[in-house]
Amino acid sequence: MTPLAATVRPRVNPYLSIDALDPEAELMLLHFGPQHPSTHGVFRMDLFLDGERIVKAVPHCGYLHRAVEKLCEKLAYVQLPPIVDKNDYVAPMTNEQALVMAFEAMLKLEVPRRARWMRALFAELQRVASHLLWLGTFSLDLGGALGGGSTVFIYCFRERELVLDLFEAVTGARFHYNTHSIGGNRHDLPAGWGAKVKAALDTIEARLPEYLAMTLHNHLFEQRTRGVGVLDGELALELGVTGPNLRASGVDHDLRRDAPFHAYDEVKVNVATARGGDCYARTEVRVAELVESLRLCRALLDGMPEGPINSGKPTKLPVQTKLPAGQQYVGIETPRGELGTWVIADGSQHPYRLKLRPPSLHALSALPYLLPGQTVSDAIAILGSLDPIMGEVDR
Amino acid sequence: MAMSPQRTVDTGANFRHPLYQVLLETPGLTVGTAALDDLLTWGLTNAMWIFPMATSCCGIEFMATAASRVDIDRMGVIVRATPRQADVMVVAGTITTKMAPRVLKLWEQMPEPKWCVAMGSCAISGDFYRNLYSVVPGVDTFMPVDVYVPGCPPNPEALMHGMLRLQEKIQRQRRGEVVVPEVNPGLMKVTQPSVPRLTEPTRSPEQTLAQERASDNPTADEESAPLEVAAGPAPQVAPLVGGDFAALLAELGVTELPADGPPVIPLAQHLELARRLKALGYRQLVTMVATHWLAGKGRKGADPAEPEHFELTTAVRTIGPGSKVAAWSVRLAPDEPVLTLSGVFAGADWQEREQFDLLGVRFAGHPDLRRLMQTENATTFPLRRDFPADAPAPPWR
Repeated sequence: MTPLAATVRPRVNPYLSIDALDPEAELMLLHFGPQHPSTHGVFRMDLFLDGERIVKAVPHCGYLHRAVEKLCEKLAYVQLPPIVDKNDYVAPMTNEQALVMAFEAMLKLEVPRRARWMRALFAELQRVASHLLWLGTFSLDLGGALGGGSTVFIYCFRERELVLDLFEAVTGARFHYNTHSIGGNRHDLPAGWGAKVKAALDTIEARLPEYLAMTLHNHLFEQRTRGVGVLDGELALELGVTGPNLRASGVDHDLRRDAPFHAYDEVKVNVATARGGDCYARTEVRVAELVESLRLCRALLDGMPEGPINSGKPTKLPVQTKLPAGQQYVGIETPRGELGTWVIADGSQHPYRLKLRPPSLHALSALPYLLPGQTVSDAIAILGSLDPIMGEVDR
Repeated sequence: MAMSPQRTVDTGANFRHPLYQVLLETPGLTVGTAALDDLLTWGLTNAMWIFPMATSCCGIEFMATAASRVDIDRMGVIVRATPRQADVMVVAGTITTKMAPRVLKLWEQMPEPKWCVAMGSCAISGDFYRNLYSVVPGVDTFMPVDVYVPGCPPNPEALMHGMLRLQEKIQRQRRGEVVVPEVNPGLMKVTQPSVPRLTEPTRSPEQTLAQERASDNPTADEESAPLEVAAGPAPQVAPLVGGDFAALLAELGVTELPADGPPVIPLAQHLELARRLKALGYRQLVTMVATHWLAGKGRKGADPAEPEHFELTTAVRTIGPGSKVAAWSVRLAPDEPVLTLSGVFAGADWQEREQFDLLGVRFAGHPDLRRLMQTENATTFPLRRDFPADAPAPPWR
């Protein structure tokens, strides 16, 4: 990795006490959240403000701590995919995949080729839906600069519905699909589905230039995002920031290419990176990924092999599926970065400990480094550009 | 503001406006007031502004309801992100014990008349999170609910239907009828929460009072108790030299790499191994996992000689094509501290805070060891294996 211009900026020390920064107690304390439409869920930041400038930011999470890891210890392995669906509720498909892949790795279960291709196709469609939702809500966060902001939001949701319809046709649900099982998939693709996918992809592709004109090519958008919230690549790596946030800081790392899973060893991914490390770069990367995902979806559809969609292994009394004692970590690239499952099994029907590695938690941990020196309005742009999903942050 | 537990059934008393009262009391104006009443009802039911209490998945469906395809605007429903300008609170998503005081506070900040829609099974009953230590088993255990919209999550159409039913309810209330939620008694029994619902006769006023008090100043309450962390003396750090991961481990005396998990290294080498691995190119922190092994159990399975202990596993990753994960574990006795990695990997800060919060593992030298998920004055370590999953959390569950 070549050094970035961004690395020249000295790293903020987030541990300086507020008494040292502000001995006269002249700063204003703003509680931002937990119920605020720009927090993308329930998230609170204590911002210490000098006028409009942020001097210190203290994030607080846990307002959606639903004790999923504790719940997983109580349930049988086959009951878990619908539980983890609810963690990253903008990309439930990839949640399930990260979980069942860890179980499959422990059981040394071969997943049929068609199931792997279907998983890759679902993951790419999910990425399209997720990035569309992100673009819409991010534009809503930036508000007035984009003509009320809700224009892009309304457009993006219109396109996202197309993808949800496709998933509904396969699984019967708009989200929370529960379509992955240990050893393969549960629902096969219905007849004529491929043509619908292509029609939806064409529609989205045709409308993309319109969104780009409203966002990336809009000078108001640029003013709100260029140079705002610059995350340096080395810090991002240390923090464990992954996915588009990492690639926007100039680090060329994508698990789809670097540690291939699903069908990504056969269908090559062109990894999008940007060098700015700011909110604009993060938008650029996500839009480039969106375009790349459209291409990948078509390639996966064209090459979709025939065959079984499930290894058929744990079909007899699936509830009694037992994992051998041991540990396994599997991390996959989701729309938000590396989503990992660390399963620790003791040979029974329940996991002894299940740790989910949420990409959003690591992304949010960059906030104390990014916010000082920025303004309150920038704080909203920075938070939105990191694309946090509080369900998986707090679990 | 004191909230009476009986408010679920709206008597219409809240509609009285001074001007309206004058008209009512003026003789000979009955016809006029009846027409005015209809007009007001029409206006009221067609301009319901929503305050979105969107916390999780249902919030996304709520957004979809407000967005292009369903477009709930055409019913006069506008989303206002402030309680002061809203008529209806839509609770969309799971409410946790940490969030509940804020929900109640925001509800109390909404001006009368106001209604509440519980959207999705988490808001209705807590769904499958119901029996977990941090989740409130339904919002009707602390605030009145007028319409329940079931689903996980409900479709946008379902939420729209819920809003139509709410319109209907308001129209009937305005005519002076007493409208109570149409609930299935069998279902109410199945989803019996750990705290009595507001509508239940067994509900005590003390419960309501305790919840109101807890919501008075949530932020201050949360942080009132200073955290006492006895981190203990820092372990000695022994230097390590050279090689890749396997060679590094060999120098520590760990010659065989176990097939069933990451290698266990001496506690004193934890920090140094992290440093060495980082220098070797493992620059990205992946995750940190602590596991609580009860006495008589360990990673090898049941073993009566095994005392209670913790295992802390750290994983790091190389960047770029052929990315590899390296993971190692350290074994800790209960209350034994381990050196923090936050000086090597900045992201270890939050990972360690999470493991401290949920399992009580102590990290010596951590710059900011506070709880991450639970409130800062919490006293429990819920992911320990001997902690009951359904532990009560008064006054919310």
